[in-house]
Amino acid sequence: MLKFLLLALRNLFRNRRRTLMTLLMVGGGVAGLLLAGGYFAFMTRGLREDTIRNGLGHLQIFTTEHFQRDEIRVLDTGIENWPEVAARVRTAPHVRGVAPRIEFYGMVSNGQKSSIFMGSAVDPRAERSLGFETFLTSGKDLDGDQGSDVEALVGAGLAKSMNVKVGDGLTLFAVTSDGALNGVDVRVSGIVESGVAEMDARYLRISLPSAQRLLQSDRITNLVVGLDDTANTDAVYGELGPRLSGLPQQMTVKKWIDLATYYKQVRNLFNGIFLFMGIIVFFMVLMSSVNTLLMAMFERTREIGTMLAMGTPRAWIIFLLMAEAALLGVFGAAAGLVIGNLLGALLNASGLHLPPPPGYTVGILFRVLHVPALMISSSILVVISLALASIIPAVRASRLKIVEALAHV
Amino acid sequence: MDELVMVEAVSRRFPLDHSEVRALDGASLRAQRGEFLAISGPSGSGKSTLLNLIGCVDKPTSGRIVFDGADTSSLNPSQLSALRRKKIGFVFQTFNLIPVYTARENVELPLLLQGMSASERRSRAMAALESVGLAERAQQRPDLLSGGERQRVAVARAIVHRPALVLADEPTANLDTHNATQLIDLMRELNLTLGLTFIFSTHDQRLLEHTPRIVRLCDGQVVEDLHHAEVAHA
Repeated sequence: MLKFLLLALRNLFRNRRRTLMTLLMVGGGVAGLLLAGGYFAFMTRGLREDTIRNGLGHLQIFTTEHFQRDEIRVLDTGIENWPEVAARVRTAPHVRGVAPRIEFYGMVSNGQKSSIFMGSAVDPRAERSLGFETFLTSGKDLDGDQGSDVEALVGAGLAKSMNVKVGDGLTLFAVTSDGALNGVDVRVSGIVESGVAEMDARYLRISLPSAQRLLQSDRITNLVVGLDDTANTDAVYGELGPRLSGLPQQMTVKKWIDLATYYKQVRNLFNGIFLFMGIIVFFMVLMSSVNTLLMAMFERTREIGTMLAMGTPRAWIIFLLMAEAALLGVFGAAAGLVIGNLLGALLNASGLHLPPPPGYTVGILFRVLHVPALMISSSILVVISLALASIIPAVRASRLKIVEALAHV
Repeated sequence: MDELVMVEAVSRRFPLDHSEVRALDGASLRAQRGEFLAISGPSGSGKSTLLNLIGCVDKPTSGRIVFDGADTSSLNPSQLSALRRKKIGFVFQTFNLIPVYTARENVELPLLLQGMSASERRSRAMAALESVGLAERAQQRPDLLSGGERQRVAVARAIVHRPALVLADEPTANLDTHNATQLIDLMRELNLTLGLTFIFSTHDQRLLEHTPRIVRLCDGQVVEDLHHAEVAHA
């Protein structure tokens, strides 16, 4: 069989131009899959880490009640004794920090006009310690209201709408936990721009104590947990269940993936596109290889007839032609891996940026990740394509009538 | 000598449009082990068809062929393939060497098909090449060999596994006189020294002059079966 493999290998180099063209086609398919898959992987990983770093965290803790009913009054399904909950969470391995949050909404006014805002109240130090982005474009981050003024970070769109800049004042109005209307004056300490225009048109952030005073409540909406590595999410998720049992309020832990709806939609979209590309490459390689291999078989009809006349089992002929195709696939995949990775490295080094997608205001860095699983799966895909493509020529060759094959010109 | 091949009232008809061509029409022939037998006749007389049938690469429309005691019509394709692998060597008019194999690798092929070890294959292939005077060309690929050398490699390939029968279809048709004579002498020498049975088709008079037995075909029928004395007389 080794000798037959050698024969298959040598047969590949008989018609070098045709073999080269096939290798380029197969290699091009693999390289294309690597580049597209590597870019999708970069986008998906980037989106995942951005989603986590932008404030989602790796895990979030809510009261179970939060998911069971709508709030009748502000924060009435919030976490009551959150410092104790946070202390329990911090004892779990891989936990880098815990940040309390209040998500609220209300009206913002500059004295002349009002608008709706979506507020987020945070502990600035906890947020910074977890490395969460603020996307400041001017001014400075919250400092925990150490002065007399209540500070606020305002989305770029909202700041434009309210006609304010850093240092200007605004008034926030919100419904308290008692159902009354409360207000607080804030000073704009910074303008933030997340890149999502709809978000920036409504976004406002103040410190946690300021929000608690505004809402007249000691409760928080949730705790955001940051880990040392995204890969540890499942492990810590499993750890937190027992640690949070026995509290007066029943807690529910959500993984980032459960809360990242946009991320999941984008990932599914990328997976769908990649699958579609894979199918195209598969059929492209399959159809063109069938043609190439049939031509090769046709050219060697007399030789195959000779081998059959000498008593070569027909299964060996099938093996020979399939081995040739599989070897072509292996070489094509190897060429594709080299080309794909080289092109990927060149593109990465070029610092290329793509234009911002709809709804975004900043361009996206073009990078290609070198994903081993992608390299393996792409290579297997083309080898299987070629092996399948060789079935028809191989079976036809094995069924040749010897006398006719020997007389073939 | 005992009988190796018995062809008994064999016919072979090929369909052609709405009619049929009778390539062989009730031909009969017996060949003994160790014979050096030529089948001659004009083009279209059925020489190649008869060799194909004896070589078990084709089946007769009627009649039967007994090869080395086995009725070939009762064998299935896999058994016929095994029979050819073990007992028959082929020499073709156009040499039919595998172009990507060296001369030695081409000669090794029948041994490879029999599952012989690499070292034994190599030594037997070299011995076969030695016997056809091409040991020093063992590492050359066919495209670097002359026509005469290629046909000698083909002969080495046909005899390397010591088959019961070597079939040669017009082996000198593509050779010049010098190479044709050398090949005829070589085949005859192998016949005499190794006791190999040769059946070959030809209308090459040079070859027929060296042949102790000639079977003449015409229109698919055996019209003459001449032995040495008669050949000389004829």
